[in-house]
Order: sequence, then structure tokens, then C-alpha cells
Amino acid sequence: MRRTPDARTGWANGGAADTIIASYIYAARYGYSASVLHNDNQLRIFPLTDAGQRPVDLQLWTRPQGRGVEYVDRFGNRVRRVRIVAAHDSLVVASAGKVRLATARPQPADADLEEVRALPEAFDYVSRSPLVDPASVARLANEVATVTGSLLDTVNGVLGWVHRNVGYRRGTTGVTTTADQVLRAMQGVCQDKAHLALGMLRALGIPSRYVSGLLTGEVGETHAWVEVRHPRRGWLAVDPTRGVLCPPPCDYIKLAVGRDYTDVAPVAGSFLSRGAASECAAISAVRLAANGDATLAEALELLRGAYVVRHADGRP
Amino acid sequence: MSRLSATVFNEWQDAAGRPRDHYALLADTVAALGPDELCRRWQTAHRRGRLDAVTFYLEPHRFRAAPADWLPRVIPRAHWEVIAAGVGQRLKAINRFLLDLYHGGQDVVPDEVVYTAQHFYPEVLGFHPPHDLFVHLYAVDLVHLGAGRYVVLEDTARIPFGIGYQLETLELVGQVIPEFAAGYDLERYGIRRAYLDLFRSLCGSPSPVCVLLTDGRFGAAFFEHRYLSELLGIPLVEGSDLYVGYDGRVYLRALDGDLPVDLVYRRVEDLDLFVPGLHDACLDHRVVLVNAIGAGAVEDKLVFKWVPAMIERYLGEAPILRQAASYDLTDLESRRYVLDHLDRLVIKSRREHGAGGVSVGPDLGPAARRRAGEHILEQPQMLMAQECLDFSQHMVLNAATGALEGRYVDLRVFAMQDGSGQVTVFPGGLTRVAPAGSRITSLPAGGLCKPTWVLRQELCRIATDS
Repeated sequence: MRRTPDARTGWANGGAADTIIASYIYAARYGYSASVLHNDNQLRIFPLTDAGQRPVDLQLWTRPQGRGVEYVDRFGNRVRRVRIVAAHDSLVVASAGKVRLATARPQPADADLEEVRALPEAFDYVSRSPLVDPASVARLANEVATVTGSLLDTVNGVLGWVHRNVGYRRGTTGVTTTADQVLRAMQGVCQDKAHLALGMLRALGIPSRYVSGLLTGEVGETHAWVEVRHPRRGWLAVDPTRGVLCPPPCDYIKLAVGRDYTDVAPVAGSFLSRGAASECAAISAVRLAANGDATLAEALELLRGAYVVRHADGRP
Repeated sequence: MSRLSATVFNEWQDAAGRPRDHYALLADTVAALGPDELCRRWQTAHRRGRLDAVTFYLEPHRFRAAPADWLPRVIPRAHWEVIAAGVGQRLKAINRFLLDLYHGGQDVVPDEVVYTAQHFYPEVLGFHPPHDLFVHLYAVDLVHLGAGRYVVLEDTARIPFGIGYQLETLELVGQVIPEFAAGYDLERYGIRRAYLDLFRSLCGSPSPVCVLLTDGRFGAAFFEHRYLSELLGIPLVEGSDLYVGYDGRVYLRALDGDLPVDLVYRRVEDLDLFVPGLHDACLDHRVVLVNAIGAGAVEDKLVFKWVPAMIERYLGEAPILRQAASYDLTDLESRRYVLDHLDRLVIKSRREHGAGGVSVGPDLGPAARRRAGEHILEQPQMLMAQECLDFSQHMVLNAATGALEGRYVDLRVFAMQDGSGQVTVFPGGLTRVAPAGSRITSLPAGGLCKPTWVLRQELCRIATDS
């Protein structure tokens, strides 16, 4: 009934020789201008289990604590819904754990575009989604795309164009910026570049999805990139911000996949208060080491260094 | 108006315009009174309704007065028996499902669906309400397709609303137009005793202290809160009249000292917004809540799709009442089907109530239909689709001309499950009439109430023969 993550690489026979273990922490804090009576959120901050990565040990905290349930959404993400019914004026959400990551760089294999367009996934991942309307960027997509009928040539064309032409600039876009707004502004952050690339790929009939995750070896904000569906090789990673096709899985920890940011937002939900959300800070860290279990104290310490966004713009 | 079919089933009369058997006596009375007298009585009844403050609050500082048409709807005995059995069956199955859900065992509804229901509350997991019942007072919205085929559109399991309007409409028509009931042997009932017995059985005490918690004078159904508190003889309280004490119990502020409360008949959802700490007091068994916390999980419009499966699983029975075919839009095949058949489906927001977030496919113009399709593509997880049914019409009096005109009607039936597990389905219900040109009957959307009768015996044959 539900789509499960594709797992067809070397995990079945151990695969430990070609893997490394990374530890990660993700933490976010939300502040409110008045006391919150209840707070109900869907958290997508557990790493995915999929072809290039396998979580081995995961923890999740919310402060105040609240009660939660877990389910797998239709994209295969592990979601925790947590409801807090106790007056509070700030909320901390954190997750930490270890993930085994494959180190081998996948060989980009080509495929015929017609074959890609006929995939059953096409319906969900080529249609419009809340922030990506393929029709709104179709003209550009058709100008940029080569006419070779090759999947890789087409993807490279889109990837290269977005990487070269859309400037990296913080603070000009928000979590609700759409793909065509990015095209008009020609600047933004990783999320915006991913949305524009998604719109162009979808306009060309290539099923593609949004990925949110963390960059290994870095401390800072969450990252966003794109995956396109290959008829035989599962999903191929495409990072328009870094301009890379098929990076090795160990460069990233994937948290969630979906049609666009609205499907994978790390924290999404609602709260009841006479006030409003006043500030938000989020930070993550990934280390290529597996010493000891992370604690909430470490997550809170990390959060001290986070960039604080005022006025409820929840962008990580 | 209707693009589904040219012939609409009219409850009052047959295709040739002759009153149906069980309406023959009423039709005679209508003819005998004549249009002028009918319009006078209508005005009298409206005025009485206004004096009783039968209102429905619409938006800041605007109440709608006495939204009623006084021509009764008559439900034949045979129809009623099926309705009552079917409604009771749903209520029992829903209660069994909720108990299973909150004790971690259910596998009838997919987790992704039930755990994303707005009123599923994780903190209720493991909680046992008194007698393991979550839904004590319950309502079902039905439509009649004709020939006794009733179909369920929606369940209300948190704060069923409307029984006060039902009773008040019946009372007013009985007082102002007593001629209508002549010759009919009607089911009569009072809810007072049933409600008070329910409260006693839930508290396990012969004289519990019960209060009705209202969202206040500006709440949509404040008339009903006032009506029920007077009928039941229990205090009508606002949040500030209650507090949770240091001992965790709930107290009513009274002139001669504070009184511990055993049961809160709540007409609000966000308990702590009205009485800080009330939510935890309920989960700690310090006070009984009617209906229990968490009952709303089954009010999600998509969870509805699985109620027939609940009946089969928990009762081992086939559903007695058919329900409108429903589609989970996160399922690829269903979404494709829905997008291809928007002209014959209703799209509903999973979270909203009544007419909120409803698009009726056949009534949409091309632009609105395209927008509905885009909305489905963007937010399939927030919506569900349901078959659009060609349901029945009844007559309303046009008070300007004195003529009877056809309007779509539905039927909201109220039921109760008490501490012993016994189910009572209250005869009749609230018939709601859609405005001209619409199929949406909800009161905020301009619907009218109509008095609804259930025949005690099949008397209609005798009526036409006499």
C-alpha cells in the first residue's frame, strides 16, 4: 500500500567494508511571544533507511516532553508526531544517533528519457506540488534541455544551469518561496535551487524528488538537494547547490524525501496560543566518528551556536 | 440545480405530484389551512422562535434567528427501524475501534491516516475512560436516496450538535400548528432522563455534580447549550466558572463555596483554553468528560472511509447502512480516478466541519474545477473525496407566495451509548434543508431546521383509505 525506501545496494551481504559510521545531532528551538497551551508537531528528523545509508541508533527529545506516536508516511519517511499539552513558551526538538553510510560513489548510468517518463512514479513526482509548479518553469526547462533523449545529458543540463546561474544568497527567500519566484529572483539558498531544479526536471517529464538532510563533516544548517528516478538504478542524487551529480552517499545524511519542502519540513504542525511564534533557531552537526552516545545536553550546547531567525520564519 | 439526474426523489410527493401515503393527512391539513393562514402561522412560529432566542451564531455580532421551516418530515416506521439499527451499529463499532486505537492494537485504519487525524491525541494512549467508552453522545448525517435507502455521509463523535434545535423545532410546531399532528401516532421521547441516566452510569454515583461547559454567548450553538442545561437541570458554565484545584479535582465557583464537579458535559474542544489543567484532570480520572478526550480521531473525514471495516472487524457484522464511497487521495490509483471524475464527486477537507472546505463537483464551473484538481495534486494528504449522491428533496413553504417548493434535505440522527454498553437511538433527528440551488445543508451555510417525526406504527395506509 505504501511506498518503501528502495534498498538494492550492498547491504544484503554486509557491505561493512565499504561503509563508514557517522554521528549526527539535529536540534531546533522555537520561541513564542506568549504562553503556548498545546503544541502538536510532525517531526521528520530521523535519518531514512535507504540504499546508501542505514541508521543504527537513534534518539529523539522534545522539551517539554509531550507524548508521541510514530508512522511511516507515503514517501517512506519515519515521522514522529508529538503533542505537548502543558503551558510552555519555548520548544526544543532534537534528534541524534549514528548512521552507517556507503562510501562508494555510484556510477551515473544513463537511460532513455522515454523510458524514464513511463515510470509508474511519474504521477506523484512530475505533478505540481505546493511550491513547485512545473508549468511555471517549463519554458526555461525546454531552452536548457538538450535534445539527445538521454537522461544524464538532460539532468546535467538542468543541474549545470541552476548551479551556474542562481546565486547563493541568504535572507532573500523563505520556506514558502516557490520555484517560479526563485526563477524571477535568480538567487536563494539550497532549498530554492532544489525547487527550481525540481520544477525544470518535472517539466521535462523526469520524476524527481526533494531531499532534506545534513552534510557530513559540517556544523550548520540542514541541506537540500534533489533525486531523479532512474529506471534501473533507483534514485540518483543531484545537488544543484554544489553542482554535483551522483555524489558518494557518505557526503550526506538523508533525513526525508518528498515532492518539495512542504513534504519534508523537519518540524511542521500547529500550536494554540494567544501569541505567535517569535523566533526559531536550528542547527545540525555530523561527525565522522562513532564515540559514545549523544546526549540532549550536547544538542542544547550545539544550539547555543545556532543562527536565530526572528519573526517565525522557520527556515533552518 | 442538479446536474446528476433529471428526476429528484421528493419525500412529500410522487413523480405525478400526488402526496405520498404517509403525507396524505398533512397535505389535507395544508390545503384546509390555505396559503394565507399557513404564512400567518409560519410568522407566528418564527416569532416564537425569536422570543426563545433560537439562534445560530454566524460571525462576530451576527446571529441568525429561528432558521426553520415548519412543515414536518415524516419517517415511516419501516425506514426508522433500519436507520436506528444502522446508527447503533456504527456507534458500537466506533467505540470498540477507539478503545483499540488508544491501546495500541488497531490495524483496521492505516497508521499514517489515523495518526495524522487532527483530533487523535497521543497523550490519550493507554487511557481508560469510564466503562471504556469514548463516545457517549453521537450523531450521524444521512441522506435519503428514495425507497428507504439511507446513506451515511459523516459521523460526529466529539461534540454532536443539533439535538436542542431538533427538540425546539418539534415543540414550536406542536404549539403553533397543532393541526399538523392530527391523525398521526408519533414516537415521543425525552432526552432528559436518558442523559441523566448516562451521567449517573458514567460517574457510578446516583447524584453526581454535572455541568455543561460552553464556549460562551458567542459560540455558534449557544442556544443549544442554554436549552440543554435548562432541560437537564445542570449549571451552564463558562471556563472561568471552573478551576482545577491543588488536589487535581475540578471545582465550580459557587456563591456558597466551591463545589467539586464529577462530570463535565463539554461543548468545547480545547479544554485548557477554557479551564487550565482540565485536560490532565480528565486523563487523571479526576473528572468524567462527555465525550471523552480523543473521541475526535474518528471525526477525521478520511478515517470515515474505514468505518464499515470497523463494523466487520469488531462486531463481526455486515454494515446495515451503506455509506458514501470514499477515496484516500494519497493512494495513486484513487487519486487518478478522482481527478478523472471530479464532476461526480465531493471533495472535503479532512479537518473541517459542516460546509467548510467542501467542493461539490457537479456544482463547480470549469475554473473552480481546475482549481479543485490542482488542490488535490498539491495537498492530497489533507483532502478526501466522496461520491456525490443524488439525495431527496422535501417541501418548504415560500412565505412570500404561500407555495410549496422543493429543497434538498438531509437527516442528522442522534444516539447514545451508556455505561452498560446499551445503545439508544433517539427517534427522528434534525432534518436540515439546503438553501435553494444548493445541496449543502449545514446551518452556518444557510440551512433550515425542519420538524422530524417518526411514526409509531405503519398508519399511512389507513390514512389514505379513510
